[in-house]
Amino acid sequence: MKFPGTTCEVDVYKALVEASVDAEIVKFKDFDPDKYGAVILPGGFSFGDYLRAGSIAASTETIKKVKEMANEGKIIIGICNGFQILVESGLLEGALLPNLNLRFVSRWVYLKVGRKDTVLTRGLEKEIIKMPIAHSEGRYYHNDPSRAERFAVLYYVGPKGEVDEKYNPNGSLLNIASIANEEGNIIGMMPHPERASFKLTSPDGETDGLLLFRGLKKW
Amino acid sequence: MVKLTLSPFEMEIARKRLGREPNEAEWATIDALWSEHCSYKSSKVYLRSFPSSGERVVMGIEDWQDAGALDVGDGWAIVLKLESHNHPSAIDPFNGSATGVGGIIRDIISKGAIPIALLDMIRVGNLNRERNRWLLKNIIRGIGFYGNSIGVPVVGGELSFDDTYDDNPLVDVAGIGVVRKDKIVPSVVKQAGLKIVIVGLTGLDGLGGASFASRKLSGENEIGAVQIADPFAGKIVLDVTLSIADKVEAIKDLGGGGLVVGVTEMANGFGAVVDLDRVPLRVSDLTPEEILISETQERMLFAVKEERVKEICAEFEYYEYPCAEIGYFTDDSVIRFRYRGKEIVNLPSELLVSPPLFMWEVRKHKRPSIERPKIDIEEAIRKVVSHPDFVSKEWAYSQFDYEVGTSTVIKPGEADAAVIALPNGKLLAVKGDANPDLCENDAYECGKYIVAEAYRNLATVGAKGIGIVDHLQFGDPRKPEVYYTFVEALRGIAEAAKFFNTPVVGGKVSFYNENKEGKAIKPTPLVVMAGLVEDKLLRGSIEEDLSIVMLGLARDEMRGTFLSKLYGNFGETPKVRLNEDLVASELVVQGINRGKILFAKDIGRGGLVSALFSILVRGYGVDIRSNGIKADIGDDLLVKLFSESTGRFIVLTKEPEWFLENKKGVIASVIGKVTKSSGVLKIDDKSLELSKEIDNYYNYFFRVIEND
Repeated sequence: MKFPGTTCEVDVYKALVEASVDAEIVKFKDFDPDKYGAVILPGGFSFGDYLRAGSIAASTETIKKVKEMANEGKIIIGICNGFQILVESGLLEGALLPNLNLRFVSRWVYLKVGRKDTVLTRGLEKEIIKMPIAHSEGRYYHNDPSRAERFAVLYYVGPKGEVDEKYNPNGSLLNIASIANEEGNIIGMMPHPERASFKLTSPDGETDGLLLFRGLKKW
Repeated sequence: MVKLTLSPFEMEIARKRLGREPNEAEWATIDALWSEHCSYKSSKVYLRSFPSSGERVVMGIEDWQDAGALDVGDGWAIVLKLESHNHPSAIDPFNGSATGVGGIIRDIISKGAIPIALLDMIRVGNLNRERNRWLLKNIIRGIGFYGNSIGVPVVGGELSFDDTYDDNPLVDVAGIGVVRKDKIVPSVVKQAGLKIVIVGLTGLDGLGGASFASRKLSGENEIGAVQIADPFAGKIVLDVTLSIADKVEAIKDLGGGGLVVGVTEMANGFGAVVDLDRVPLRVSDLTPEEILISETQERMLFAVKEERVKEICAEFEYYEYPCAEIGYFTDDSVIRFRYRGKEIVNLPSELLVSPPLFMWEVRKHKRPSIERPKIDIEEAIRKVVSHPDFVSKEWAYSQFDYEVGTSTVIKPGEADAAVIALPNGKLLAVKGDANPDLCENDAYECGKYIVAEAYRNLATVGAKGIGIVDHLQFGDPRKPEVYYTFVEALRGIAEAAKFFNTPVVGGKVSFYNENKEGKAIKPTPLVVMAGLVEDKLLRGSIEEDLSIVMLGLARDEMRGTFLSKLYGNFGETPKVRLNEDLVASELVVQGINRGKILFAKDIGRGGLVSALFSILVRGYGVDIRSNGIKADIGDDLLVKLFSESTGRFIVLTKEPEWFLENKKGVIASVIGKVTKSSGVLKIDDKSLELSKEIDNYYNYFFRVIEND
């Protein structure tokens, strides 16, 4: 899905092709929910993020159509700005607040997989994966931490899987990087799997992002 | 009325050539077109001496379109452009730097090219001053704000500090785009009758920006000349312009000088008729003069065949972006602007595009050399590596979305050059270099030095330079000592560019960079070089026991070095031996291709010490034998460690003998090895523990800036 201001649609498309998932880029006004089994809301700055990140996109007609898909049990994935749109629209619980250090942060992080019953993580063999983050409003918050814990799919961790505040890049509750609904078909994540899907551009040649997108194919 | 920058002499020329007194709108028009920023009136004559042709040059300096282009094979070209936003950034660093990014991006897309990378080269004054910290913080935020929002990765850059930039920071941004060679869109029309279409709203910001950039900062009431950045609008312009690029006849960014300059330059000798009433406005009460010269961002001009106007505008209207036909090109060579039925500008195109050209007086400035001071080597090592010029810039680049586009192969902070994957599978390396301290001492050698350094930087990742864009930043050109450095720097760049076969495909001149007391900045020419990875890419890695091989000769030429900056200018100025840079670079690339090199670093600012420090900060130690370091002065450790003479590298290898056998005229010697003693620099029998300096390396900016 491309909203005005979306920047990562081509990257996600390329990664899906790499993972052998049938995909196309659709502009927000041209979206027909009946044509697709899954939708990805990629990263970027939808409508410039000029209010709260994701809030304008969340109130568009397009998101109403995405909600229809969600009600039918289809797959909805939000990456970065897409995650922000999902929480702004109420498709996922919680909120994404400005990073604790109040600035944009772009870097590679280690992630621990907390749930394997979601569309992206089912059958995933690796416990620790690596991919980059790039956001200024990525601090996940929920007023009920135990609920948040139940939803959590990925945690920011150290290289050996240590869940520690020092590996938390934005101040997220419980180091949470990604959550899903209980059914596991709606997922939001701050890290960018599409940026860890190509050998050449991954610092150590690993393509952990691809492992997640392949989960989409298995669903 | 906005302040004019025309001199009485120039006004007299205009009157004479026109045969009458221009009206107010016409004066504003002439002022914008004849501004230094738009006309290059003080530099054009000399710029013609740059080597601008070559087998890869698709679009060069003579065509001087909005950007230059180089052939990268398989039917693809890269488009290169370098610009600064120095004056606006001094007043409003956030908007100044953000619009600098926006302007570069629009120059790239106006060629029909997809922007794939940005580099930012920032120079500010000492961070002990609060104002400089404020400037830096907002410059970085501004670049991130714009670059991130439009999805173009910042892949590299420089961050450097010197008191000379106290009132006048330098914010240079380079942009790189890719385009099919046969799809490059011109910036000028080739026929009359085409319609002129403008997109975007015209507002009150950026009034007289080009003229503002063509005089020194006055410190009063200049905020109106700064443009306001709107990256969301910029992203729409980017997406839609690329989608319609092959349906229009010409594209031009509305940058310096605004509409009047855009239309006149696009007409390129043809005439034009424009109705200012049809220009979509952000506020309703703009005067016609303001509409003419406003530099509001996120506007583009298209030359469109009549039958396609609707189709073009429909694409912008999908995003509710304003698009309007405002006039047409004529074949009478007269530029006409109308407002409310009245013709307010009627000027021959010839007058506007041919300003009087100047070659100002030159005078060599003699700088005394001091006696060599007593320098404690250990103290000097600690001082150099602790300087903010040499510490990690992670604080800055982590604010940039450098991974967007999934094509950034060598990332910021990783090596001496950034590497980006091109659509044809080739790998493009890019690097920007400047050396104001050397330029202040000898601008000619400095011109050669920065080109040679860029060439070496590219070699360290396995690439060979193919072309450059330059940016010449100086004080007031009418001051003979300033103009002398301009002429000399240009001569040096031209000579080196010719030598390395890296033609100058575009560039920019920025004069009037002075501090409040009217003192010019240190001359700061800058080049950005692009190159292609020849065969193998080097992604550096370090391990214990690797041999450290030094290529090249350290020379007793300490003037203009970083050490001289700290301890006073002593000794002779470096002479750049271009051939040494070439052969040593070729050896490095060959070593990479044969798999003989695990890590390579050129020896530049800070000398051997700063090159070795890059090994230490990666968690290793080094053990050096000083008698292995070849120098032209026998056993002078200071020269061996801090000389910045060119043509030199250090490479880490398991097979040092390969370099000694294959050096072909390059001086090569084993100077030591990598050890596991993290943070320890051992020179002969003396060990230096640098953990404090390494901590400073990683945390300096976070500490200095974030704790404000």
